[in-house]
Amino acid sequence: MKHLSEEEQLDIYYEEGSEAAKAHLKGCRECYAEYAKFKRSLDAIKPEDVPQRGPEYGDYVWQALRPQLIPYEKKTVGWRGWSWWKTATAATACLALMTAAFIGGRYWEQRKTNQPEVAGNVQPQQRVVVVVLTDHLDRTERLLVQLNHADPGDRAENVQLQSEARELLASNRLYRVSASKEGDPALAGALDRLERVLVEIANDQHLTAADLDRVRKDMNTSGILFEVRVLLARKPNQESGPTSAKGVSI
Amino acid sequence: MQGNDHSIVRAVLAGDKEAYGTLVRAHSAAVFRVAFRIAGNEADAEEIVQEAFLRAYQRLEKFEQRSTFGTWVYRIAVNCALNRVGQPGIEADYRHGEESDPETKTVQVATQDADPERVLLGREVSAAQEMAMQRLTATEKCAFVLRHLEERSMGEIAEVLGVAPNAAKQAVFRAVQKLRRELAPLRGNA
Repeated sequence: MKHLSEEEQLDIYYEEGSEAAKAHLKGCRECYAEYAKFKRSLDAIKPEDVPQRGPEYGDYVWQALRPQLIPYEKKTVGWRGWSWWKTATAATACLALMTAAFIGGRYWEQRKTNQPEVAGNVQPQQRVVVVVLTDHLDRTERLLVQLNHADPGDRAENVQLQSEARELLASNRLYRVSASKEGDPALAGALDRLERVLVEIANDQHLTAADLDRVRKDMNTSGILFEVRVLLARKPNQESGPTSAKGVSI
Repeated sequence: MQGNDHSIVRAVLAGDKEAYGTLVRAHSAAVFRVAFRIAGNEADAEEIVQEAFLRAYQRLEKFEQRSTFGTWVYRIAVNCALNRVGQPGIEADYRHGEESDPETKTVQVATQDADPERVLLGREVSAAQEMAMQRLTATEKCAFVLRHLEERSMGEIAEVLGVAPNAAKQAVFRAVQKLRRELAPLRGNA
């Protein structure tokens, strides 16, 4: 006959023993005596008296603890806090937004692809011809500088100035008209004043030193030169605008 | 009380730090009791109480509403006590002058005055029990205190110690074996 082990006795002591072990204990004198000794030894281990703590003990603990605690920040509502209909609304909104973005993207891409063909097919005769002004303004600047520093007695230089003025006059008219159409009054005004100077020089059959001096003073060529330089300086910043000085449509 | 504790926890998490004071006042005594039983002295027990409530506050967001706050902070306190008892040097702090003879395993108690024999015997038993408890490992001591003195189930002990129920049972069993062996000479004397 197998007697109870110490572990089985422990189970019985803590009221966790099996029914078979309990039945054996009742029927076996040897095990009963052994268990009685076991029980006495464990019963002797009594809880140590715990020092009493009065009702103020909680306050004492709290006062010691309080300065160490950092308040929690007010909780924001997370996904878990959302009710099902809020989640469903958010999901629907996201879906609608994504669909709109997709359709919009497709439409925009299609329009972008078709745009050059439409312009080319419908109005081919109105194709915009962009003429770069830079070269014209550079040449004009050189002419005005030469005019301001020209030697009145140098006949050859005067002829060269007159020839240059005639070439510039034709293109200047085109640029002035285009600038007016494009709605760029600053450029149109400057080109208008420049044109008058060019007309004076180009159309005088007998250009003399006195004529050049008069043009310089009366028409304020230094002022026009300044305007041309300003126009040259502003060009890079206005390339894409409707009043671009770099190029005008003609 | 449970529902009330839960609403207080929600208030604390919403930023009301003062509300935590209510929980501390309500559960301090129970936490102190188990801390004292495991640590064996008041000074350590009080530190364990502080540490347990501080840790509980810091982890309050992880507190699951399934259990009560009292049970939760109790488990934290047991873990704090377990860590403290496991530290070297702690046990040496609460020896009160008793010495045991390793040869005979009998306990010699320092007496202050000539008390009656019964009082002396009671002190002797108490001191022997305390010393026997000190010889247990931290896990054994914890498991035994929770089972024998706090009357917790094996399932609860296993959960607190973070071990399987069978391992918790074995820890209690080893503690009982050691205590019986340590206290046997005293039983013979008595």
